Amino acid sequence: MAAEPLLKVENLSICLGSAGAARPLISNVTFAVKPKSVLGIIGESGAGKTLLSRALVNWVRPPLVITAGRVIYRDRDLLALPETDMARLRGREIAYIGANPTTALDPTVPVGHQIEEKLRTIEPGLSRQAARKRVVDLLDAVRIPSARSRFDEYPFQFSGGMMQRAMIVDALISNPKLLVADNITQPLDVTVAAQILRLLRDLQRDFGTSIVFVSSSFGTIVDIADEVVVLDKGSIVEAQDTGRIQRNPVHPYTKDLLAKVPRLWHGVGSIPEANAEPVVLSVRDVAKTYAVKDRTSLFRKNRVQAVRGVSFEVRRGESLGLIGESGCGKSTLSRLLSSLEPPDHGAIEVNGVDVATLRGAALLSMRRRFQLLLQDPYTSIPSHVSIGATIAEPLRIHRLASGRGLREQVCGVMQDVGLSPDLYDALPVGLSAGQRQRVNIARAMVLEPSVLILDETLSALDQVEQARLLDLFDNLQRKHGITYLYISHDLAMVRRACARIAVMYLGKIVEIGDNETIFGEPAHPYTRTLLSSVSTVEEKPFLPKDYLLEGEPPDPIHIPEGCSFRSRCPFVIETCRNVEPPLSPRAGGSAAACHLGLDRLPAPSIVLKAHNGSDLKRMDSL
Amino acid sequence: MAFALEFFLRRISQGVLIVLAVAFVIFTLLRIAPGDPIRIILGPMATPSAMEETAERLGLRDPIPVQFLRYLGDIARGDFGNSFIRGKQGGTTGGSQDAAGAPPVERAAVIELIARALPYTLLLAACGFLLACLVSIPLGILAGVRNSGWPQKVALYLSSFFVSLPNVWVGIVLIYLLSARTGWLPAIGYQHIGYVVIPAIVVAVELAPVMIRSISVAVATNVQDPFYEIGQVRGLSARIMLFRHVLRNAAVPLLNSFGAQMIGMLLGGLFVVEYIFSFPGIGLLTINAVFQRDFPVIQTVAIFASTVLVFINIAVDFASTTIDRRLKF
Amino acid sequence: MTILSSIPQSSAPARGQSVNARILRLAWRSSEMKVASLLFLALCLLTLLGPFVIDASATKISVADKFLPPVFMEGGRLPYFLGTDQLGRDLLLRSLVGLRNAFLIGVVSVMLMFVLGCAIGIFSGYRGGWTDVVLMRITDIQMSIPVIILAITILGMSRPNPFTIVAVLVLSGWPIYARVARSVTLAERQKEYVRAARIIGASDLRIMVRHIAPSILPPIAFVAVLDVARMMIFEAIFGFIGIGIQPPTPTFGTIISGGTQYLLNAWWITIVPGCLLALSLGSLNLMGGVLERSRNLVLQGAA
Repeated sequence: MAAEPLLKVENLSICLGSAGAARPLISNVTFAVKPKSVLGIIGESGAGKTLLSRALVNWVRPPLVITAGRVIYRDRDLLALPETDMARLRGREIAYIGANPTTALDPTVPVGHQIEEKLRTIEPGLSRQAARKRVVDLLDAVRIPSARSRFDEYPFQFSGGMMQRAMIVDALISNPKLLVADNITQPLDVTVAAQILRLLRDLQRDFGTSIVFVSSSFGTIVDIADEVVVLDKGSIVEAQDTGRIQRNPVHPYTKDLLAKVPRLWHGVGSIPEANAEPVVLSVRDVAKTYAVKDRTSLFRKNRVQAVRGVSFEVRRGESLGLIGESGCGKSTLSRLLSSLEPPDHGAIEVNGVDVATLRGAALLSMRRRFQLLLQDPYTSIPSHVSIGATIAEPLRIHRLASGRGLREQVCGVMQDVGLSPDLYDALPVGLSAGQRQRVNIARAMVLEPSVLILDETLSALDQVEQARLLDLFDNLQRKHGITYLYISHDLAMVRRACARIAVMYLGKIVEIGDNETIFGEPAHPYTRTLLSSVSTVEEKPFLPKDYLLEGEPPDPIHIPEGCSFRSRCPFVIETCRNVEPPLSPRAGGSAAACHLGLDRLPAPSIVLKAHNGSDLKRMDSL
Repeated sequence: MAFALEFFLRRISQGVLIVLAVAFVIFTLLRIAPGDPIRIILGPMATPSAMEETAERLGLRDPIPVQFLRYLGDIARGDFGNSFIRGKQGGTTGGSQDAAGAPPVERAAVIELIARALPYTLLLAACGFLLACLVSIPLGILAGVRNSGWPQKVALYLSSFFVSLPNVWVGIVLIYLLSARTGWLPAIGYQHIGYVVIPAIVVAVELAPVMIRSISVAVATNVQDPFYEIGQVRGLSARIMLFRHVLRNAAVPLLNSFGAQMIGMLLGGLFVVEYIFSFPGIGLLTINAVFQRDFPVIQTVAIFASTVLVFINIAVDFASTTIDRRLKF
Repeated sequence: MTILSSIPQSSAPARGQSVNARILRLAWRSSEMKVASLLFLALCLLTLLGPFVIDASATKISVADKFLPPVFMEGGRLPYFLGTDQLGRDLLLRSLVGLRNAFLIGVVSVMLMFVLGCAIGIFSGYRGGWTDVVLMRITDIQMSIPVIILAITILGMSRPNPFTIVAVLVLSGWPIYARVARSVTLAERQKEYVRAARIIGASDLRIMVRHIAPSILPPIAFVAVLDVARMMIFEAIFGFIGIGIQPPTPTFGTIISGGTQYLLNAWWITIVPGCLLALSLGSLNLMGGVLERSRNLVLQGAA
C-alpha cells in the first residue's frame, strides 16, 4: 500500500467542443494506479469510460478537449509532454488495447508481421529472425494454436477472440509498465471472454504489468480488478477495493449498478413454466450447408455446415429460448425459420403445414401468422419513411386495411406496444433504440401473428429497456396467446423469459430442457461451460476452473469426427472421439447429447434453494 | 499458387469472350451504318458495276455473321486485313483524295499502320500520365490525410478547375500561347521529342483532376479507418502508418478506379489530343479512318483498345486481390 | 470517429436529420457551394434572357461586322460584347445557344443514364446469381469500348443530331451507374430492413423500388452533377471533331474548331467562348465536388 503509484490522474476534465458550447464529458476525475495491480473502472455506456481510458495515453482529439488536470506517469505529466516524447512512451511503456480488435490492425498485412513491425520500431537493433521468434513465442504464450503458421495469417482469418489475444501480444511485446484495456471482452462470446480474462490475470502476474481495466460489466470487473472506481456521467462516485465494493457499496449509483446486474441463480423471481397446449411450430431435422470458395485449391468449394440437423417443438403460448455463441448456427436457423431460404433437408412446420411447400397467397398468409423481429433497431426500419407508414406497410401488402381503418388499426397497435400515436407522422430519426424496437414490434404485431421469433431482438438495448420490453411481451402473450421463440446469446434474458431452453453448439442442439433443469442441473458439459463463464456477481453453481478449457469451437468447415464438443470438453472419454452422441431424453422432457451421465460430471458447487441469501461471489472462483 | 491459376484461367477466358463480343458489336455497327466505303475507295467517278465488282471482291455483300467469321479466321492467322484507303507509302495524314484509286494490292496492312502509329501514342500516353502523376500524387495524398487545411482546398479548386477545361479548348489555347504567339514550342505534327510537350500537358490536365480526387478520397477513407490512429497508439509513427499501411490500403480502390475509369479516359483523351495536334498516333489514324469509312482500321483499333482495357483490368484485379486478401473475384 | 458515436445523442444536433438533408446542409455551409450556385444561376439567367436583350444574331451572317474583337478590346463595339466570328455572327449569342444545347444534352443524357444504369444495377445486385453475372458481363463489354471510339464510330457513320448524341452518351455512360448501384445494392441487401420487409411479405419489386432505391440513389445522384459537366465536354469534343450537332446550329465545338484557322489574328473567336464554357463547367464541377466531399464526410460519419 505504501508503494508510490505508477500512474496518477489528478482533477482531469474533458469537454466536447470549445469555450462557449462546451459540454463536460469527464469532470474532475482523480485516481491512482499502484504498481503491479489492476484498477477497474466501471460505468454504464455513455459514462465516459472510453474517453477516460484514451486520456490516459494522451489520445484525445478535437472536438474533444482536455480542459484541466494532469495524468502523471512516473513524475511526468503525460498531457503536457511534447508529442515526440509521448510517442516514445506509447506502445513502449504504456500500451493500450481497445474494444474492437478486428479493426485495430491493417487488414492487408498478416497479423504477425504487424506485431513484428511494431517490435522492430521499438527496438531498431533487433534482427528480423529474433523479432519474429519473440512474437511467435508470445503468440504461443497467449495460447494461440499453431502460432508459427498463424503468424502469417491476415486479420480477417482470426476470430474475435484470437484477434484480441493477438492484440494482447502486441501490447505486451514491449514489456509495458502500464496496460490500458478498454472494454476488451465486450464484443466476445462469454466463454471466450472468460478465457481472455483468465489469460490477462496470468500475464499480469507473470509480467508484473499494471492494468487499468475498463468495463461496463460488474461481473467482469470483480473477476479481475484489485480496486474498483465507479464512473457515472463523467465523475467518480465511488472508489473501493473489489471485495468491499461488493459487500458494502456506499454510493446509491453503485448500489443501483450492482442491483442491475442480472441474476441467474439467486433471487431470479418467477420463472415461466412449460405448458401442454398443442404444438404450433415444429422443426424437424433441419440442416443447411453453404458453399464457399477455397482459395488454396483449384475450382474447389468448402462446405460450411451451418445447421446440422436441428429438431424442436414449441407449444402454443409457450416461450422457447435458443441459446448459443457466435457461429453456433443460430442466425442461419433464424433465416431458415423466416422462410427466406429453404433448408437443405428437414421440414419447418407451422400448425402442421410444411412451410417449404407454400407458394403465393398461401405463403403470404403463413407469413402473416409467423413473424420475426430482428436485432438491430437502427437498420431494420427505413429512415426515410414515417413511423405510421412503416407500421402500416404490412397491412397494405396483405391488403388487410386501408384509409381510415388502417390509421385506426395502426394507432391501436402503437398504443399496445407503448408508442404514442402522436408519432404516426414523425420520421424515426431521433427515436431511442427502445422506441425503434417498439416500432419493429408494432410492425409485426399489426398482422396479429400467432408465432413471433425474436432474433437477438433485445440484445441492443440496455437492462432497463430490456426489462420493459420483456414485460410487454408477457402482456401480449397473455392477451393474444402468442408463441415466442427467443434466439439469443444472453443467458440472463433467456432465464427470465423462457419456459424451455435449447442450447446450440456447432450447428446442433446439444441440450434441451425446461428452464430449471438447464440452469440448475444441466447434463451437457457445454451448457455448464456457458454457465460457468457468464459474468455475474453472484455465487455460481459451476466454476470456470472445473469447466473452462482453452481453445475455440472448431470451424464449421472441418467438423471433427465424434462429439463436436470433444475438443473443448474437460471430461472427454474414449467414446467421444468416434461416436457422435445422440440427443437422448432425460427425465422431465429434457434431453442432452452427451456420452457422460450426470454422475460423471462434477456436482454443482452450491445447492440452489429458492431465494438464497448470499449474493456474494466467491473470490477464489478464478 | 492454385488461387492465381484459377483466377487467370477464369478471367482470361472471360476476357477473350468480352473482346470477341466487342469485336462483333463494332463489326456490326460499321456494317449497318450508312455511308458506303466502296464509294470512298473508288472515288466519286466510279461506275455502279465497278463498285459492285469491288464490293464482291472485298466480301462486303455477304451476310454480316459470315463476314465476321471470315474476319475472325483472318485474325487467327495474324491477318488484320488491309486498309481500304491507304497506300503502302501513304503519308500519315492521307485523306481520301490522295489514296483514291490505288489498287488493293498496294494498300497498307492494318497491322503495319498500327505498328507505325503505336510508338507515338505510347510516348504521348507515358508523358501525359507521368506529368499527371507528378501533380496529383503529392497533392492527393496531402489532401487526403487531413479533412481541412490548404492542401484540401488546393486539391478541390485545382481539380474543379482542370476538370472544367474541355481538352479541345485547352489544346487550342496552349497552341496559341506556347506556340503560335511565342514560338517557344512546336505544336502540330511530330518531328522530334519537343512536339510531345504541349499534347502531353493537355492529356495531363484531363487526367489530373480524376487522379487527385481518387487519391484523396482513397487516402481519406483509410485515414478514417481505426487502424491508422490505433497504430499510432500502438507506438508506430504517423509517417510509418501513412506510408506503409494507409497507402497500401488506398491502392486497392485506386487500382480499381484506374482500371474502370482512367484507362478509358486516357485512351479517349489521346484520340482527341492526337486529332487536335495532328499527332501521328493511333487516335489520328482512327479518326481519319472513320471519316474515310476505312472499316479494317476502325475494327482493328477497337479490338486492340478493348483488349488493352480488358487485360489491364485483369491485371488490376489481380493486384488488388494480392494486396487485400479479403477480396474475391 | 467511434468515440463520438458512444457519446449520448444530445451532443450531435445534426443527428436528427436524414442523411440527404445532412449532406445538403453540410455542402451549403461551404462558401464554394454558394459562389458556384450563384454563378450557375447567373449563367442560366443570361442564357434565358440573352437572346431577347442583345440586339444581334447567332446565325445571321453579316460580312461587314466580321472579326470584331470583344468590347473590352480596342475596336470592339456594342452590341457585340464578345465580338464576332469570321462570318460576323455575335459570339456571345452563339456561345449562349451552344451553352443551352450542351447543358440540355448533358442533363438529359445524365438523367437517362442514371435511371437506366441504376435500375439495371439495383436489379442485378438484388437478384444476384446468373442475372447478375450476365448483366455485369454486359457492362464489362460496354466499358471495354472507349467512349470516343464508340462515339466516332456511331456518330461518324451516321448523321449526328441531338438524339443520336444523347443515345451515344447514355450508351457509354450507363455501365458506370449500373456498377455503382449494384455494389451499393449488394451491401444494402444484407441490411436488416430488407430482411424485415421480406418477412412482412413485401415483394421483390416493392423492396427494390420502395426500400432500396430511396436509400441508395440520392448519394449517387449528388455525384451525377459532375457527370453533367463531363457530358457537356463530350458534346464540345464531338462538335470539334465534326460529329456533334451540325451547323448552322452553334455549338462550342464548332465555334472553337471554326476559329482555329484565325487563331493568330482573331484569337478571341476560339478562346473567349471557351472561357464561358469553362466558367459554366467550373460552377457545375465545384458544386458537384463540394457535394461529393460532403457526401463522403457524412457517409463516413465524420460530420
